[in-house]
Amino acid sequence: MRSPTEGHRRQCLRQLDAGPLRDYFGRPFPAPALDYRCVDYVALDLETTGLDAKRDQILSIGWVLVRGQRIDLASARHRLLRCEGDIPAETAVIHQITDDESAAGLRQGRVLRELLGVLAGRVLIAHHAKIELSFLDAACRELYGEGLLIRCVDTEVLARRTFERRNIPFRPSELRLHSLCERYNLPRYRAHNAFYDALAAAELFLAQVAYRDNGNGFRLRDLL
Amino acid sequence: MDVELIEIQEFLAKHPPFEQLPTEALEPLPRQFKVRYLKRGSAFPPNDDQAAHLYILRRGAIELRNAQGELVGKLAEGDLFSDVCLSGVEGGDTGGTDSAGRRSKGSETNKGNRSEGKDSSDPSNKNAGKPTLSGETVEDSLLYSMTCAQFEQLRSAHPEFAEYFDGSTTTRLRKALDAFTEPTAATGGLMTVSARDLLRRTPIKASPEISIREAARIMSAERVSALLLMENERLSGIITDRDLRNRCVATGLSTEQPVREIMTATLSTIDADALGFEALLQMTRLNVHHLPVVDGKRLLGMLSTSDFMRFQSTSGVYLVGDIHKADSVAALEAISDKVPDLQVQLISSGATGGHVGQAVSAITDAITKRLLELAEAELGPPPVPYAWLVGGSQARREQSSHSDQDNALLIADSMSKDDDHYFRQLAERVNDGLNACGYIYCPGEVMAKTANWRQPLKVWQQYFENWIKRPDPKALMLASVFFDLRALHDPAGLFDGLHEQVLELSRDNRIFIAYMAANAIKHRPPLGFFRNFVLIHGGDHNHTFDLKHRGTVPIIDLARVYALSTGLAPINTIERLEAAAETAALSHDGAANLIDAFELINSLRIRHQANQLRNGEKANNFLAPEQLSPLERGHLKDAFLLIDRMQETLGQRYQAGRFG
Repeated sequence: MRSPTEGHRRQCLRQLDAGPLRDYFGRPFPAPALDYRCVDYVALDLETTGLDAKRDQILSIGWVLVRGQRIDLASARHRLLRCEGDIPAETAVIHQITDDESAAGLRQGRVLRELLGVLAGRVLIAHHAKIELSFLDAACRELYGEGLLIRCVDTEVLARRTFERRNIPFRPSELRLHSLCERYNLPRYRAHNAFYDALAAAELFLAQVAYRDNGNGFRLRDLL
Repeated sequence: MDVELIEIQEFLAKHPPFEQLPTEALEPLPRQFKVRYLKRGSAFPPNDDQAAHLYILRRGAIELRNAQGELVGKLAEGDLFSDVCLSGVEGGDTGGTDSAGRRSKGSETNKGNRSEGKDSSDPSNKNAGKPTLSGETVEDSLLYSMTCAQFEQLRSAHPEFAEYFDGSTTTRLRKALDAFTEPTAATGGLMTVSARDLLRRTPIKASPEISIREAARIMSAERVSALLLMENERLSGIITDRDLRNRCVATGLSTEQPVREIMTATLSTIDADALGFEALLQMTRLNVHHLPVVDGKRLLGMLSTSDFMRFQSTSGVYLVGDIHKADSVAALEAISDKVPDLQVQLISSGATGGHVGQAVSAITDAITKRLLELAEAELGPPPVPYAWLVGGSQARREQSSHSDQDNALLIADSMSKDDDHYFRQLAERVNDGLNACGYIYCPGEVMAKTANWRQPLKVWQQYFENWIKRPDPKALMLASVFFDLRALHDPAGLFDGLHEQVLELSRDNRIFIAYMAANAIKHRPPLGFFRNFVLIHGGDHNHTFDLKHRGTVPIIDLARVYALSTGLAPINTIERLEAAAETAALSHDGAANLIDAFELINSLRIRHQANQLRNGEKANNFLAPEQLSPLERGHLKDAFLLIDRMQETLGQRYQAGRFG
């Protein structure tokens, strides 16, 4: 997935009517030439009813802001979404969100509006970001008629690049969020909800940049 | 807010001082945190944090060093680094000043993960951000941080939380000790009740001029086993059932004689405010069953062993009584088997390490005396007077159950060459008897049966003169046991003169004291704890904390130097420190702090041993850090820092490094 350009952003801005997504596109993307330490990020994770963004639904979203090299716990959020229809049993085992809880959740539009406000002018951090990007993109298309474009750091991609660059053979399981956290001596959270996975991704990001940074910083471009 | 930072909250709740916070205060706290990651080998605190911060280590490890680059502490998960927020005010601690009033080196060494008694009431911490300690992550580390301003707010809102940072080492140690020795409600008793409260009736008094018969009549009428004899409102003696039997009836003395003839005139009394336990201890040590209680000069009443009946800790008194009656080594062995039980009982009734040391030493004294009596009964009376000297922990009255034996024989100069045959046999009998009773042979052979330590007075005088005037480090190490020396059996008073002479020689002898000081600072306390390890100087990790060699011994050694340098007679460590506080050798604060630290570590040691004994294990001095609560670790760390500082001051004063 190629990182969207300012040209793409301005194009979207022209096509959209007033609304949360237009407001989002109103803020410029952080420039790839910036020092990564001067950029704000949003580490994010989703729980969904399945893996197909066209058919499956978002059940919950967790996120936390990362400002440069610091996670700001004051910004931590965890939102449950109201879901249409029954939650498939095979995914409920993983995220442990019940039908009742989901029924008490918020409308997708309301959560997306809040999230777009947070994402504006920031870079997304996610582990195996394809899922997050595709579901958020689908949700935006459904609600606002236009997809989501955002610059994104995928901690899984960063990890794979590190293994490959150092010629370290690895198994796919070693690219999992929790295996990588262990590798960097990060805490293991008991809960596996969207928020704690977002926090774990944020911590993994801090570890990855700490190991990449020789003390002089580097450009955001190197992470995208 | 539906977000649960519950796992971070739970993490905090497990670590002091956050565990002190109520849930309402703890719950919103994680939201104030920033999270940082420092890879191994990064500088700490991170130099790019703009405002000053408090740090909590979530994962990883950090080594802290002082300005000289010496390792002073190591942080692990859950440890706190608050120095930056608390370093606004210079000094503020006690205990670190030497007698000349100079500050000791404390300001560098007194900060670990738990900042020392800085005056934290100053919120305008303008020079925050300049910690005197610097560190480096030695593992990949994840940290939580909050600004000093937020920290300040938390402290002012929660006094119980603030307490952890406030106050000097002094007040924290004192509190720790109080909490430690608080007796459990179930056993309580002698540790809380005063001698005054134990008195059950007004004293039965009479004049020493009344006849023996009249005294016996009063005792019968009042149904008491002892009568106090008063002269002009002053206590002049006591008479007991036993005195009537032994000194009157058995000797055929006329009952018309004044009772003064058979009373015991030299009386030991106890102050009404003394603890019940201390009264019991005194009776045990003197092997008496009655003890007058006084308030200043006024006689309040008399305690007898029956007053202690309702407290189970009485066994000490009865053990000593049994020892006096034992007629063989085998009988003594059987009695001495009960000493571990006594130790366990005393601890569960809230006794401090000091109390237990006194009680156990009293038993050892009694056994030793009885062995001497038995040996003399077998060998006949000694050809010339002698004194049986005890050294080390027994001399200091700091024994725990069944330490090694340290003893020596001091013989009158009038002894002839052939007399040694007698004393060698005497010494062997007592040494072997003690060994049989569980006081194993001294590994260094400091025992009366060793020819070198069985000598006439003039040789002992020569020994001490050599040690003091021509000190050499090796000999002094061996001899240190002889600078804690007490005469246990000395009918001719041979030892007093020698002891005075030793103190006279050692006092103001700077070279000798410098050697002793160099020895005294060889046993360093640990730096603190790191995870479930004990962190020692140089950065090594031990699996257990040696409560003796890294805990009590450093303080015992310091107290000995203070006592010898100023010619103080006490042998007991606490008494030495109390006496030294009245001299230039040690400040009052320094003494009070060392006493608290000593009591804390010693009590911990005694409790550890009591637990082992209770489980049927052999008592030792090695405590695994996982057996300590986080709070106890904090208290111990305070004690370590204090000892370290006092050693530093002593070392500087005598430039001990040159003599080591």
